[in-house]
Amino acid sequence: MSSPAVAKEAVVIAATGERKPWLRPGELGGMLMLVPYILVFAAFVLYPVLYGLWLARHPASYATLIADPIFLRTVVNTLVFLVIAINVKMVLALLLSGFFMTPRWWIKVLALIFILPWALPSIPTILSVRFMLNPEWGIVNSTIFRLTLEDGPNWLNDPRLALTLAMLVHIWKALPFWTVILTAGRLAIPTELYEAAAIDGASAWQRFRFITWPSTRTLYLTCTLLSTIWTLGDFNSVYLLTGGGPADLTHVLATLGIRYLRLDQVDLYMAAVVCALPFVLPLVYFMTKRLSR
Amino acid sequence: MAVVAIREVRKKFGSAEVIHGVSIDIADGEFVVLVGPSGCGKSTLLRTIAGLEEISGGEIAIGDRVVNDLPPKQRDIAMVFQNYALYPHMTVAENMGFSLRLRGASKKEIETRVRPAAEILGLLPLLDRYPRQLSGGQRQRVAMGRAIVRNPQVFLFDEPLSNLDAKLRVQMRTEIKELHQRLKTTTIYVTHDQVEAMTMADKIVVMRDGVVEQVGAPLDLYDRPENLFVASFIGSPAMNVLEGRIAQDGSATFVTSAGAVLPLAHAPQGSAGRAAVYGIRPEHIGLANDGVSAEVVVVEPTGAEIQVFARIKGEEINAVFRERHRFASGDAIRLAPDPAQVHLFDSQTGRRIEGADPDQTLGEERRLEKTT
Repeated sequence: MSSPAVAKEAVVIAATGERKPWLRPGELGGMLMLVPYILVFAAFVLYPVLYGLWLARHPASYATLIADPIFLRTVVNTLVFLVIAINVKMVLALLLSGFFMTPRWWIKVLALIFILPWALPSIPTILSVRFMLNPEWGIVNSTIFRLTLEDGPNWLNDPRLALTLAMLVHIWKALPFWTVILTAGRLAIPTELYEAAAIDGASAWQRFRFITWPSTRTLYLTCTLLSTIWTLGDFNSVYLLTGGGPADLTHVLATLGIRYLRLDQVDLYMAAVVCALPFVLPLVYFMTKRLSR
Repeated sequence: MAVVAIREVRKKFGSAEVIHGVSIDIADGEFVVLVGPSGCGKSTLLRTIAGLEEISGGEIAIGDRVVNDLPPKQRDIAMVFQNYALYPHMTVAENMGFSLRLRGASKKEIETRVRPAAEILGLLPLLDRYPRQLSGGQRQRVAMGRAIVRNPQVFLFDEPLSNLDAKLRVQMRTEIKELHQRLKTTTIYVTHDQVEAMTMADKIVVMRDGVVEQVGAPLDLYDRPENLFVASFIGSPAMNVLEGRIAQDGSATFVTSAGAVLPLAHAPQGSAGRAAVYGIRPEHIGLANDGVSAEVVVVEPTGAEIQVFARIKGEEINAVFRERHRFASGDAIRLAPDPAQVHLFDSQTGRRIEGADPDQTLGEERRLEKTT
């Protein structure tokens, strides 16, 4: 966009033979306007990032980190979490967006209730799920006992079950948001297209396959990318529910740092954060590329 | 091709009834235009025929089948939408062949159906393009192509030309008419533009507020509008309407509320002094030395004709002349409405008062001649 302007400027400079002054009149004011932003950026983004990198500068920290079996387990957990939780969540959101498009008054009411998990703050909601899952006095196992006279499973004490539950909590909490986004995307599809398809003889599945999906595909993929970035940083769903336990077996990269902080190993904490960068940076790159298209 | 029968059709949205018992008979191969101002229910009626809206009462039959409860795809109709509704992710060829593809037709069969349709519409070089790469007129043609490929019993058009510029609109108007003459498929066409209605239709249905005001051939509607609404809706520029009374003294004249005396062919029997509305089309007003004196307000020459806005005793009147006159604002002229072309309407009901025009008596005479 700027290249024609730049070229024009170059032509002007060549023609007049003058050098471009360092600051043109009026530009100083503009520069001054930028100062607050630059200061905030330096203080709250640049400084902490550089300081973190400085803390994580020793190769030895990475050797220790990789040698830690918990670290490898965490990387696997993170991958499982990303692949399963995000895809299940996005597919469910796509299905639900179709449901919420139906023009019925009670669906509007339902939508309002449905959005609550997303709107409520994480700490009380996820902690209350944790209380409900308490093996001794949680409502889930009390109910199971009342109905079957047998003890329910020890939900959060089995690493697989605990990670699955953390994923469920994540899906439950984030689903409304993505459903709303996808619903908005689908509402933008002209109704005439569906009417034309109805006249052409398309079944409900064919309408989805030939109209809805081609029109929402780009949005869906963008949402999936964005959701991956956010899920990588989702500390709450895992930490508030399992605390990384049992035996640190349900950590994801977002929560692993806490383990090292507790162990007073700040350099490992930072190294763990740095290890998440190869996941995040390509995603951010693709994301900005998509958005700038 | 099929006849379409619309019998006492009603449509309610919630408690609001927007179509109040409409009945229209459409003959096989006929080109019928539903015309009326926005909100008159013409598009809703078309959508009920398509099956995109359910009717609240009455009956719709296509061919010999009552289609009230059939979904759109089983009605054997094709529809062209106002904004074309082309599938954005499909090429022109895919758009046109979509209905066949859904029916499970083979690639070869689809092509043998799509190509001739594309040829008729001049779309052959565009078959691989996407809708976003086409101009408005081309999109319009693809939408028609999609309809033709289906070879339906009935074509439905919902204001198909209103997104095009004026010149293209006139061109597409001719193309649609030509297409109809070629395919002879029963066509129902909705528009708010009376010129489109007049030029394209075999039969016009004028609608207002969910009721049919008049049904007839274009020139019948022009010559004998049944009420004031049809009179002022059909024809461009619109008919002049002046309120007043038929002369008390039994002479064949009409006196406007402002006191101007206008000629009638003859006063309808027993109507002396009756309050009425005098209707005269701008093209039926001439100049004559014994005409009514008027003052020119605005002159609009279009080349082919000159439109003059004038005042008769303060009342606006609009006249169109094919001859070149050099009028200027403020000129005094004498306007002479052609008594044979005057329409009289009841001032209360707006209904046509019969017996005012000599045409009708002429018609009766002709009929008499025929019978004798």
